[in-house]
Amino acid sequence: MPFEFEQATTASGMRYLLIRASGHVTLDDGKMMERYLLPGMPYHRGLVLSLVAKGTEYSPEVRKFFDTIKTTYVALAAVVTSPIVRAAINMMLRLTGSQNALRMFTNEAEALAWLATHTPETPG
Amino acid sequence: MVAHLPAGRQYVTLTACSRGSYDRGHVSIESARIERILKNLVAAANGDYDTRVPLEENDDEFLDVEIGVNYLLDELVLERDQNAAQSRQIAAQTTALVEALSTPIIAVWPGVLVLPIIGAIDIQRTTTININLLARVVSERAKYVILDLTGVETIATGTMPALLQMVRAIGLLGATCFVTGINSRAAQQIVELGDNDMQLRTLARVSDALALILGPGTKSSTR
Repeated sequence: MPFEFEQATTASGMRYLLIRASGHVTLDDGKMMERYLLPGMPYHRGLVLSLVAKGTEYSPEVRKFFDTIKTTYVALAAVVTSPIVRAAINMMLRLTGSQNALRMFTNEAEALAWLATHTPETPG
Repeated sequence: MVAHLPAGRQYVTLTACSRGSYDRGHVSIESARIERILKNLVAAANGDYDTRVPLEENDDEFLDVEIGVNYLLDELVLERDQNAAQSRQIAAQTTALVEALSTPIIAVWPGVLVLPIIGAIDIQRTTTININLLARVVSERAKYVILDLTGVETIATGTMPALLQMVRAIGLLGATCFVTGINSRAAQQIVELGDNDMQLRTLARVSDALALILGPGTKSSTR
């Protein structure tokens, strides 16, 4: 499974959806992610932390699909250590237009600190 | 900057510029990376979208360019595949349409079918006509079939026997088949077959056949 989903909470009690990404991410994986973020679901307009492993690749279809779900979360922090993955996400952002709600980080602590500056619109 | 790069490799120094300023920074790129991109672009320009720029974990902005080229190639492959699928769909629809138009069987009167054939006839088309026409004869309980060859330009060698077999098959179903509009070449082909027992009923025009079928003293009804 390229995407593994977990419900997580920070020490300060902030609830967020944790997604561990690896391997080849396809449209099906994107749609699985969407299911957590759709209206009525606990993480709709909430916070997302994605830990993206080195070697993660995105199919052309899912790259476009991500653009269609960017309004389903308030903030998505992606922790990326691989330059290739970083460049891939950068390119997706260029293709889909700038997204203030998505930012990349090189470590989890910085990502969580940034997420903490946002307020989920759906109380967790 | 170049002094910190591994020795033994060729590098190109790119100057990043913005708004006419040329002093905003320099990026040194291994010449081989540029060469790999060019190689892929040339391949794509020649219609080969299946190669990709090999990626290495180089933490520089040029990696974005390499990824961008690969994403562009991915899009070209997607477009190519979608176009191919669309072409196959159009070809299938065209084939179905041509097949439907090749056997425009018209019920001109209860129990009377007319099949005007236009264009060239070969074995494959004869087979299609045979299947569709015999099915209609059965389903319509037809008593008469008029096979009009006025619009037939050529009948492929070896096809005439198949046409005549169709006429016989219609007879076996209890219907009478009239063949109209036979041109001189087709007439010659029939003569060359040398079968005097084919019981082919020929008339000049469709109207002649209709007059014969629907004329006084002839009942045109279903079987």
